[in-house]
Amino acid sequence: MRFLKSLGLAATAAAGLALAALPAQAADWPNGPLTMLIGYKAGGGTDTKGRVLAKLLGKELGVPVKVINKPGGGQATSLLWFKEQKPTGKVFFFGAVTGLTLNPHLKPSLNFRYTDFDYCCRVTEFQPALVAPASAPFDDWAGFIAHAKANPGTKYAALSPYARILMQLIAEKDGLDINYIPTKGGAGMVQLVLGNQVMAAYSGGIHSRYPGKFKTLAVVTTTRQAQFKDVPTLGELGYKGGADAPTVIAFPKGTDKAIIAKMDAAVAKAVQHQDMKDISAKIMMPIYHVGMDKIDAFMLESDTTLGNMIKDSGYEPPK
Amino acid sequence: MMEPLIAGFGAALTFYNVAFIFMGVAIGYLVGALPGLGKGTATAVAIPITFYIEPLAAIAFLIGISKGSTAGSAVSAILMNTPGEPSSAPTAMAGYPLARSGKAQKALKMGLYASVIGDFVSTCALILMAQTLADYALAIGPIELVAILAFSLTFIAALSGKSMIKGLIAGLFGILCSTVGLEIETSTERLIFGMYELYDGLPLIPVAIGMLALSEMMVQIGDRRRLEQETDLLRGSGKPEDAKVTLEDWRKSAVAIIRGTTVGIFIGILPGLGASTGSFLSYGMARRASKDPDAFERDGAIEGVAAAESADNAVVPASFVPLFALGIPGSVIAAILIGAFVIQGVTPGPLMFIEQAELMQGIYASMLAASLILLFIGYFGQNMFARVIKLSPSLVLSTVVFLCCLGSYLQGGGMFGLYIMVIFAVIGFFARKYDFSFVTFLIGFVIGDGFELALRQTIGLLKGTPEAIVDHPVAIVFWVLTIVGVAAVLRRKKNSTEAAPAAAE
Repeated sequence: MRFLKSLGLAATAAAGLALAALPAQAADWPNGPLTMLIGYKAGGGTDTKGRVLAKLLGKELGVPVKVINKPGGGQATSLLWFKEQKPTGKVFFFGAVTGLTLNPHLKPSLNFRYTDFDYCCRVTEFQPALVAPASAPFDDWAGFIAHAKANPGTKYAALSPYARILMQLIAEKDGLDINYIPTKGGAGMVQLVLGNQVMAAYSGGIHSRYPGKFKTLAVVTTTRQAQFKDVPTLGELGYKGGADAPTVIAFPKGTDKAIIAKMDAAVAKAVQHQDMKDISAKIMMPIYHVGMDKIDAFMLESDTTLGNMIKDSGYEPPK
Repeated sequence: MMEPLIAGFGAALTFYNVAFIFMGVAIGYLVGALPGLGKGTATAVAIPITFYIEPLAAIAFLIGISKGSTAGSAVSAILMNTPGEPSSAPTAMAGYPLARSGKAQKALKMGLYASVIGDFVSTCALILMAQTLADYALAIGPIELVAILAFSLTFIAALSGKSMIKGLIAGLFGILCSTVGLEIETSTERLIFGMYELYDGLPLIPVAIGMLALSEMMVQIGDRRRLEQETDLLRGSGKPEDAKVTLEDWRKSAVAIIRGTTVGIFIGILPGLGASTGSFLSYGMARRASKDPDAFERDGAIEGVAAAESADNAVVPASFVPLFALGIPGSVIAAILIGAFVIQGVTPGPLMFIEQAELMQGIYASMLAASLILLFIGYFGQNMFARVIKLSPSLVLSTVVFLCCLGSYLQGGGMFGLYIMVIFAVIGFFARKYDFSFVTFLIGFVIGDGFELALRQTIGLLKGTPEAIVDHPVAIVFWVLTIVGVAAVLRRKKNSTEAAPAAAE
């Protein structure tokens, strides 16, 4: 009897400890180095921003934050790996939201959805736009449409399936005949435009680094961009497919909310740092921190908008 | 032109900056000398270090690293037959046999001199003609590029061993391997067998290490007695002329270096071709110019080392031409440097010369200084590395295998890179045993990607109007050269197969 009683006591104590351990995990966090996962190669725009952020987060949280790169498949390689990680708060993802809310619609065979992760916050914005070379015989959107109608087979550089679908939706609505020229990455797009090989292109934002070389016809974000105040959004022009493309921070599913909240607070402080502001201005990726309270609503909205867009375009995913 | 450059030297050659250039070249040389680690890795890893140093020192540091690692990768290529990166593969082909016949020191020195000359001349070309060359680079669109790549691919035929059919099989297998991953237009999965690690294709470094280095180690370990004999040879023949570059060597290599440097500059200026194309092309040309081309891989050839290294190093400064003049990165290094420039508040492109004139002159001066520092560090560094060959073979082999694993692990996304390395080591082992050219495989693999994209773009750009190619004279010239090249190879092969039975009788 005494034995049973002590066993019961021990069990109660163990349960108590276990209960205490859960909040303790969040209270200690971070008690060791953290890992920031980036789904692009080292040296690119997202990577550069991520590395500065990692350094500043390290200062805020008092532990080293190291960066690992797992490039491939528009962040799919990194996210598939990330999905397997335990929700300890030791590893988190920093990257473009399109990897989470666009790619699974483009490729339903991908073995993850945006709902497989927990979200912390939005950090910075990409500034995608539809652009033309400076030598183009038109200056604005209306001019481009008129030109494309008069010249069937107008060449358009598409650096991704999304870039292609965006123009397909426009071509369908206005009855254009577009010749899609594939290219690889922002650098490949710049080369085709500066070499006057194409009449229009989708740019993820890199065009703003080449003042005087590009004409910005329409911005792809849902609101106008500060550096191109006079350029309308695709939405204003009456087209579908425009969407905001921020960078977000995500954790493995089931990570303690208290940990995520701590990270969110650290990010809120880090983005105020002068280093972060400098880098943002230099790589033209404005900071727009949206915290934990609104992030889930945004992820749902992003997933719905992009999912509908893919559906509307009649796009058939590759087998 | 000269006056601002002299002012640039004033700004660049402070103790602080020179210390950073020196450190950059030294780190680069060391990293480059490790099998499998090349300029891309070295520069990318160093970028965060530069966040907190002054712009000129930061950029000079990175350029120093890229120059040092490009030259350094010749060390492991010559001493251990394990190129630091694919562009040093031809150096290994011509240099390792030299090392095995006791001429390691000679090959290392010639490699260094050719590297420094190629690098220095290319840097001068960048400084003097960036704008002119850039205009010409922009005129080279996909239609021209696909012709130039087809021309480069015909050198596969020239490089393939004795049997042309085996060479073609190896080259096409290389191209097949380059198609693995997500297809560029619609992201269709190709040959990935459900492995998401393959979305970006087979990782280049593990494939190259497995095919070139690890398979060589497998062959060597399988033959220990020969190995010990060879190690004795590697220690040097004892003849003083085998340890230095003689006048005779310079005579043999001068043309190869001039040709290599020119090829390197030409390839470097064109975005998307890369150092491997440059060094293979230059090597192929030197081999073709030789009276006994087969001796290149059998006995080694000092002019082969000179040709490959001069071109490899000339590509790096030349690839900054489109970067500085237009803001288009022409190579992996240039793409990584864009990140560094931007962090330092400099927008790469023509405006750089107006907004940041002083900085640009400082960068030019630093680049020239880095060339000289490279000569200095290389010369003394080689003595240190050359001691490696005096160690016992079991020590060297196990270290090389370890470094191969390390390089593949870092560059191939962890354990996955190791699996790929082992698979390609086995393929490479049998390729060696059955005399399939693994080098032909590698160049097909390296060029395949760019060739496919350029071809797709060309088809799009010429859509419905193939006759429009007459507006692209450069493309026509290279297509004609390609056809002439193939015809010449076919004729030579036919002659040699006719000659062979006659000799047998």
